[in-house]
Amino acid sequence: MKPLPSTSSKTPVKFRMPTSENLVPIRLDIEVDGQRFKDAFTWNLSDPDSEISVFAKRTQKDLKLPLAFATQIAQSIQTQLTEFRSYQGQEMLTGEKIVPIKLDLRVNHTLIKDQFLWDFNNFDSDPEEFAKTFCNDLGIEDPEVGPAVAFAIREQLYEIAIQSVATARESRNAKKGRRGEYSSISSRSTGAALDLMKLFSNRYSVVRKRKEWDVYEPMVDILSNEEVNALESMEERKPR
Amino acid sequence: MASLEPPAAVTPPSSKPNLLPLPSPTIITPSAAALAAVAPTTSSSSPATLSVATPLPTPSDAELVHIPSYSRWFSLDGISECEIRCLPEFFDSRSPSRNPRAYKYIRDSIIKQFRRNPSSKITFTEVRKTLAADVISIRRVFDFLDAWGLINYSPAALSKPLKWEEKDSKTSQHAADSPAGPSSDSTPPVRETTKWLCGSCKSVCSIACFASDKCDLTLCARCFVRGNYRVGLSSSDFRRVEISDEMKTDWTEKETMQLLEAVMHYGDDWKKVAQHVGGRSEKDCITHFIKLPMGEKLAGSAEFGSGINKLNQMKDDNSSNSSSSGKRLCLSPLADASNPIMAQAAFLSALAGTAVAEAAAQAAVTAVSKVGHGEANAHFRSLHGVQGLQITRALRRQVMSYVFLYSDASITSNGSNKLKSSEEARSGVNTMPEEKVNVEEELRTVAMVQMKHIQEKIIHFEEIDSQIDKEWKQMEQMRDILFYDQLNLLKHERSIRKTGQQAAEGTRAG
Repeated sequence: MKPLPSTSSKTPVKFRMPTSENLVPIRLDIEVDGQRFKDAFTWNLSDPDSEISVFAKRTQKDLKLPLAFATQIAQSIQTQLTEFRSYQGQEMLTGEKIVPIKLDLRVNHTLIKDQFLWDFNNFDSDPEEFAKTFCNDLGIEDPEVGPAVAFAIREQLYEIAIQSVATARESRNAKKGRRGEYSSISSRSTGAALDLMKLFSNRYSVVRKRKEWDVYEPMVDILSNEEVNALESMEERKPR
Repeated sequence: MASLEPPAAVTPPSSKPNLLPLPSPTIITPSAAALAAVAPTTSSSSPATLSVATPLPTPSDAELVHIPSYSRWFSLDGISECEIRCLPEFFDSRSPSRNPRAYKYIRDSIIKQFRRNPSSKITFTEVRKTLAADVISIRRVFDFLDAWGLINYSPAALSKPLKWEEKDSKTSQHAADSPAGPSSDSTPPVRETTKWLCGSCKSVCSIACFASDKCDLTLCARCFVRGNYRVGLSSSDFRRVEISDEMKTDWTEKETMQLLEAVMHYGDDWKKVAQHVGGRSEKDCITHFIKLPMGEKLAGSAEFGSGINKLNQMKDDNSSNSSSSGKRLCLSPLADASNPIMAQAAFLSALAGTAVAEAAAQAAVTAVSKVGHGEANAHFRSLHGVQGLQITRALRRQVMSYVFLYSDASITSNGSNKLKSSEEARSGVNTMPEEKVNVEEELRTVAMVQMKHIQEKIIHFEEIDSQIDKEWKQMEQMRDILFYDQLNLLKHERSIRKTGQQAAEGTRAG
């Protein structure tokens, strides 16, 4: 077990995914000859790059996509991995970091909306476990939902990690030598983090305000085929 | 046994009542009969799907799970040694996300998914979408399960041989495939000089026919088009053979001898071999060479078992094997890739573990000796017996794997002997008796020398023995003399003392 860093530590930590396994979320959205391929999965950084082409070919063969996809898939994965690697080795700040994670995804016929708080400092956290329990508790039968949920969580954690790297760089450049300012800066500039003290200071109670109950409650909807089609057409229209 | 199964199948039949292992492609037992066999072993629940022993409504609804017999070690309850060996990255705690628990989760989910719909093949991408783990781990486990036939294996859909069988050379495949298909009882086509007979409809092929090198089958155009071939083949395995150039495809004895000579001289350089043979392409040479009966190969592999150079030299002359193998006298590592069959044997024995490979090789040797394929066989066994004492454990391991190969090869040759002209086999075997006599003589001289040596030693020791006896006797005599002297001395002393005393008394009295 890795010892958790204390919540008030201001020492910068090397960039990594704040989960027990250093897995990178990869999102694919490739369009070739009018055929669109969207996918999202997690990749283990310690795997050699030769696996990328193997995986791309495999996926292309299994889904019977035209050959051009394989190279595009491999390229996309490669760029995302190098981007992730470029962040590695840089520092990110770990202050008080309770971040809200929002789930708003549709997997086949299941629609999920949820919001919860996640401790960013907990480097032993496991989105996969969370997703498994989530699906079990809510009785979701579609086996593809679990990984999608885990992926969504991972993606958001990744975004936050990138942000904290950026702020670490900023604060280092802006204030050289003045160490005491870090905590206020980190909590100010990373708007995503919530200050627990502020939450609790008003009421001296841990119970949420009533109006926030609906927001933090998980909602699972099973859609019918027409609704799925409608949503899909809407989604496709959006980026265009 | 007719078919040579990889060593993993040597384990005793599984005790799991729900798994029905089948030897590699045979007919599916009707479910009723199978259920009847399985029913007595389970207590109350009828034979059910693998995961849970819940009673199913009717026996006809129960699903049978078919896995190949070489995967009998598999069980959903735990992780077996084979898996640890094949997928070490999950068990050596190098990466935190790859641990046995994760492996078991991935493996069980993949298998459950496949078994939900066993008649259709499950693709990696389907599986990947449903598992919350990193995709490379999923892919490794998926490939492993696929290769061992634990998923995507249904006897009706054996469209391609399993992955590591593909690496096999064609000879092993002869042994491994014991076809039960419709065209199996058709003997491979009788290649008369002018006619081709179709393997399945037994008619003379007229214009063109389709030959498959993979399993030595010939079909006329009609049968090919109709798809009247065995389960394990696909249309791409057949090549079209025009009858007009059929004359070229028969290997005369002269050509065969040329081929063997060339191989002995040039070894693995197939270009030169093709040149030497004249009129045959490289590919033809290679395929024909592989198909030759293994009489020569036996002699070649027997040399590795003994460690004695004399024998090796003899065998070298005899072996028409590639000369590169003759050079491998000492303990070369098993996985020498220059010989594909050797590499295959090494790979298999690595997969299965040394104990299993040894046991398999032993069994193979005894089985082969019963079959009694030529004098070379008995010869090898006598060699093995005499030299057995002198072989260290490392050598022995090699012997076992080579013997395994040997038995593999000899069994295939047994099978393929029916196809080839027996003259080739005889010509190879005819040189054997002379060599055998020579070797025996050498053995005799060696034994004689050893015996003389021992005799001389015995004589020497006897001499020493008698010498020691003499000395012992002398010692005893001396001891006696000493004793006698001591006695005399004492006597004298006493008498002197007495006379002294008397004299003293006399002077006092007088």
